[in-house]
Amino acid sequence: MTTVEYQVSSRPVPNPAKSLITKLHMGTGMVVGAIFAFGTYFWLRSGEDMTVAHNVNRVLLISMFMWSFGFLIGIGAFIGPFRWLIGKDLTDEEQLFLAGDGQGVSRYFRYCTDHKVVGIQYLVGVMVMLGAGGTLAMMIRTNLLSPGSKFVTPVIYNSLVGLHGITMIVAMIVVSTGPFGNFILPIMIGARDMAFPRLNALSWWVLFTAIPVLCSAWFLGGIPTGWTAYAPLSVQAGPGMNAFIATIIIFAISTAVAGANITATVVTMRAKGMKWNRVPIFVVGATMSVALAIPAFPTFMVSMIMTALDRTVNTTFFDANFGGSGWLYAHLFWIMGHPEVYVILIPGVAILMEIVPVFVRKPLFSYNAAILGFAGISGLSGLVWAHHMYMSGWLPLLNGPFMITTEMISVPTGLIFLVILGTLWRGKPWMKLPMLSVYAFLWNMLIGGITGVYLSDVPADNYLHGSMYVTAHFHYTLMGAALTGAIAGLAYWFPKMTGRMLHEKAGYTAFWFTQIGFQILFLGMFIAGAEGQPRRVADYAHTYATSDRISTIGAYLIGIGMITLLWAVIHSWRKGDVAPQNPWGAKTLEWTVPFPVPLENFDELPVITSDPYGYGRSEK
Amino acid sequence: MSSHEHEEEVLAPTPGARVTAFLKRRDVRVSTALGIFFTLVFVLLGWKFYPHWMPTIMSTDMKANEALMVAFTYISAPICGIVLGIATYTFMHRHKGDTPPEDGPAIRTNGPLVVTWTVVTSLFALLAIVWGITELNVGATAAAAEAKSALVVEVTGSQWVWTFNYPSLGIETHELNLPINQPVIFDVVSSDVNHSFWPVQLGVKVDANRLETTVVHTTPTKLGNIDIKCAELCGLYHAYMETSGQIMTGSDFNNWVTAQGGHTA
Amino acid sequence: MTTSTSSRSKSAIGGLIFVLIGVTVVSTVGFVLHSLSADPQKKLYATVNGTMSTPQGNLPHAFITEGVYPDLATARANGSGANNNKDWVQYGPATHLVLPQHAYVTMTLHVYDSGENLNNAYFGKVVGTVNGTMTVDGQEVTGIDPTQVQHTFTLHGLPTSTQDPLFVNVPLQRVATDDQDNFLPTKDAGTNFKGHTVVFSFITGGKGEYVWNCEYPCGDGTYQKFGAVMGQLGYMSGKVTVA
Repeated sequence: MTTVEYQVSSRPVPNPAKSLITKLHMGTGMVVGAIFAFGTYFWLRSGEDMTVAHNVNRVLLISMFMWSFGFLIGIGAFIGPFRWLIGKDLTDEEQLFLAGDGQGVSRYFRYCTDHKVVGIQYLVGVMVMLGAGGTLAMMIRTNLLSPGSKFVTPVIYNSLVGLHGITMIVAMIVVSTGPFGNFILPIMIGARDMAFPRLNALSWWVLFTAIPVLCSAWFLGGIPTGWTAYAPLSVQAGPGMNAFIATIIIFAISTAVAGANITATVVTMRAKGMKWNRVPIFVVGATMSVALAIPAFPTFMVSMIMTALDRTVNTTFFDANFGGSGWLYAHLFWIMGHPEVYVILIPGVAILMEIVPVFVRKPLFSYNAAILGFAGISGLSGLVWAHHMYMSGWLPLLNGPFMITTEMISVPTGLIFLVILGTLWRGKPWMKLPMLSVYAFLWNMLIGGITGVYLSDVPADNYLHGSMYVTAHFHYTLMGAALTGAIAGLAYWFPKMTGRMLHEKAGYTAFWFTQIGFQILFLGMFIAGAEGQPRRVADYAHTYATSDRISTIGAYLIGIGMITLLWAVIHSWRKGDVAPQNPWGAKTLEWTVPFPVPLENFDELPVITSDPYGYGRSEK
Repeated sequence: MSSHEHEEEVLAPTPGARVTAFLKRRDVRVSTALGIFFTLVFVLLGWKFYPHWMPTIMSTDMKANEALMVAFTYISAPICGIVLGIATYTFMHRHKGDTPPEDGPAIRTNGPLVVTWTVVTSLFALLAIVWGITELNVGATAAAAEAKSALVVEVTGSQWVWTFNYPSLGIETHELNLPINQPVIFDVVSSDVNHSFWPVQLGVKVDANRLETTVVHTTPTKLGNIDIKCAELCGLYHAYMETSGQIMTGSDFNNWVTAQGGHTA
Repeated sequence: MTTSTSSRSKSAIGGLIFVLIGVTVVSTVGFVLHSLSADPQKKLYATVNGTMSTPQGNLPHAFITEGVYPDLATARANGSGANNNKDWVQYGPATHLVLPQHAYVTMTLHVYDSGENLNNAYFGKVVGTVNGTMTVDGQEVTGIDPTQVQHTFTLHGLPTSTQDPLFVNVPLQRVATDDQDNFLPTKDAGTNFKGHTVVFSFITGGKGEYVWNCEYPCGDGTYQKFGAVMGQLGYMSGKVTVA
């Protein structure tokens, strides 16, 4: 077995000696961040009456932001901007150093501008977040194993639900566009790097600083609100809520930076000849996803800033006693919240669309329908938010219009099914791991989509809103469809990202455990919902005991599957079979570059003369 | 848009012959059979799932909700059939091994199919929309008609207990008892954070907001016990914010009101 | 060939071990969480003494006594203190009450806090007690002015077919003034309190698990004063086990 050379570079390792940049890394970032955070905390609290909730909230929130700011200073994120202030910039040598050329593993712990390094950072970060969120899910299901909330108290249960939710949402938003959008996407369009490499590094490290902040919620008493953080409950909540607010604000900055960067890259840096109708579908999907996030997330950020103000300086945005309204929060939240689920879903689907032609050896069926499907979903997703508020009592007259826009989404979603089915039709799919996921997606998205149609219908939502049925529905779409797509992407691009093949047997084992467990878990949850069990309850009547127990068993199977997948990834990364340059025989550009991918990806920039789906024999 | 070879196919035999040839293809036949099978499975699911698992129907609204969910499952059954039929067929004819299979036919698109598919899914969506709107309208009309004769119950959600006030009867309780076949209007408020008032078997739901009355109405049609739950996470004891009630005959209800110290209407 | 087979079985074993380690890690997290939430609430058992004749026949007569303290210092001075870690208003000596099934339970509450308005006036009524009454310092009442409440004892539970319904609400009259002397026992050490003694009785059904909480907004400063202490277990909320 040959070993993979992780660093092959003809260039001398840059060494801008004496530059501060060479001395900064994650460790210095954490030290400076901690100094900033604790310094701020102790400085501020000395002058405050810490028995007053508002003061505690203010001190904690500012300390959390100072952690993030301090970390970024400590890792060197602001050296460039600071030089601009004094009319200079980084030297060429320093920039080359920042690109991580020839620095081995250490560059993964630095402020590295190479999109491939950022991609790997995102991949590992996302896996950690999914692992944490999944562990929380196991705790939730364990508590629901039997009635009585015997495993944890309602306080801890509510925190589990909220932190599972937000951890997973954050992880899922970046699960495809983070690792693959950064590592693969620039190569796919024939670019040497992202449009703004330093912003690229910034987006990752900003996101990184949100992780400890979110974790701190546990040590501050948890959050009672679920991930939706509805006001005024969030205004009433204890100090843990500050961690949630700070996380969202930091995360929103990260997504804005990443979104602008990916969009700019795709718009301006495509290879010569790559017209819009020759762009690989994953690139289209990822771009639409991040572009959709750009207008969506600021409203979440604003809602969190308003919550923070209510909690720290006695504003009353959401306090009805003083003319505020909880509905205001619900609107701001869902104006982000519904586009957000498509921010998650679209890139996952796009990955699968990228995979199907390769493994069926047929062109993508109706590329235009795929684009239309994505565009239709993106466009409509901005007009459907109030379907989360049918039962809120806010202007029931508008339920009708929102029902219409929501149900119209089934048409572009139908196009997505058509594209995948049309590509499968008359093909003999090569049943490798990525392809298997396509089938899981078809089933899961079918169930998720159809149950979505019930929920979008006001009369049915009368019964189903706020029940376990809703939880089952959105797990089918977000986990069953989007996460399945992302895992397919991992299996598909693993050879390009690590130089090795993903362990197949372990991959299959993981797949079947996860998917079968998934069906069991959420079938049980659909039943519990139909029976009338509300969401997010620590305890429930004995009526639901059977369906909840079934769900918990399914959850454990998923847990085993996911741990197996983690093993497959770690094992294969370390000593898997060395991958050929193009193991799947795909025609997109990322498979034309060797592993390890050179610093600037291409020796000579490619020229594109057709779309990458030129598979298939002509029929005579 | 359609590919070169496809046009040739169009030109050659008559449309009738093409359809016959198409229908004789093995993949078409097997996929169709599988599709019909899956359609039937989903029809069966629609027929059994909701009626079996959902609680007793105790109001006009609950009846409409359940009917709608059953009907939507029927409507979506053929879509499931198509998707799963094709998927299963191709899955059955998968390619194994470590090398890619040989290339399939280079079908780039099929204009008429895309249009047909879009039109059909649009029709399904339209059907769902029309059904929903009609249902909303029926509900609204009924509410308007019954408004005058309706019993008004003021529902207050407090962290973590529901309380009910019957202003016309002068009683306050923590249990929701209602007379059968008597339209009822719930005026729902919260004394603190958001809650969601959910009398499960009555099939209606509305959030409780601080200083903002939301209204929901229904007519109980069956005697028996009902569960009242909170469907909006409201903090520590959200899970325990439940109470029960009964749909009673008119005379039982009057007796209960008197026993509570109220006056019957 | 042999090497690849052995390396394959090796990797299978490695995978299995990894899965086991993973399961162990997750379970450990679970156990930590479980032990963290191991009932923070000490249990207080009702004592049975004699029987009581009721419409349901002769039932064992159980007695239980709790105090409601404005802070930990007061609680400690009365030999109580259900929760030691915060200086919050609290019930004591415990917040997990264990009552006998099918019994006539007489509960005595010594209350020492000030207060004002309820968020929901309903909780100013006495509900679910024998005769719908309670005694405040010996005087029988069916409710108190909802603007003069300091706390409530509100017992409820999930309506399920497997346990009998139980709902009790008792509002607690505030102490007359907000004078700290009322409840700083260092001065009078429990002999000269200006607090109230509230006594009420209710009848338990079969076995069951219930919860109780206070419906008076005493989580100061936060929205509707239902944050802080009101969001934590072991102070103004707890469990009731009918065993």
